[in-house]
Amino acid sequence: METDYARFLPLAPATLHILLSLAGEDRHGYGIMQEVARQSEGKYKLGPGTLYDNLQRLMDQGLVDEAKRRPAGEDPRRRYYRLTPVGRGVLASEISRLEEVVHEAKLRLRLPDTRSAT
Amino acid sequence: MNRTLYRCLLRLHPGGFRRQFGEEMLWIFDEASVTQGSGALLVDAARSLARQWVLRSGSWKVAVALAGALIQVTIGGLGHLLFGPLAERGPLRSANAAARIDLDALIQIGIWTVSGIVLSVVLLAVWVKKFNARRIRAVHL
Repeated sequence: METDYARFLPLAPATLHILLSLAGEDRHGYGIMQEVARQSEGKYKLGPGTLYDNLQRLMDQGLVDEAKRRPAGEDPRRRYYRLTPVGRGVLASEISRLEEVVHEAKLRLRLPDTRSAT
Repeated sequence: MNRTLYRCLLRLHPGGFRRQFGEEMLWIFDEASVTQGSGALLVDAARSLARQWVLRSGSWKVAVALAGALIQVTIGGLGHLLFGPLAERGPLRSANAAARIDLDALIQIGIWTVSGIVLSVVLLAVWVKKFNARRIRAVHL
């Protein structure tokens, strides 16, 4: 059965950044915060309260799950989170949507569109 | 000191959230307070506390119901005091006059309380509409 990703879209900035930070690898909460800051070159910083509020909602929606595997010798307070297949699909749909938005914006603002070159 | 304050703020969060994420948030405080400064983390925890109780736990409905009841009682009482028989009456002259004034007072209180209910329902409807619009905007931005 095909999942309807459209009902999750558009994503809030915090949600988008969290899903994006988990796309490459499983991370713990602090790792997600650091990755979000890195992705945005320090312009967007998540606090722990905002992060876990979003994580709770994403876990309820089945987009993010707690990873069972964790590196040996880790602090037991660290829990790792991973993107579920549904979460990955939602992220891909959001990126496609944003590409369309950027394409449309460039057309209207008469900026060069780099999409066809890539 | 700041760590104790942060721990207190975490303890004030709703039980489910605290049990699920409290220890991790404290761990992040230990890690991040050196680089980010504990002030920003304390502000974030205070915001989180408000968000969890007001938006996520549903206890805002109790607060709204209490505010609505307060509006009704206030309007009923003020209306009765300002425009009811008490505002007009002089010294009591007879038992019959007193009984008539008591009945008038009861009717006045009833009218003003109903007005309070109508006003609080209108205010609540307007507030809920604006609140929902804000939430929808926040989710879709």
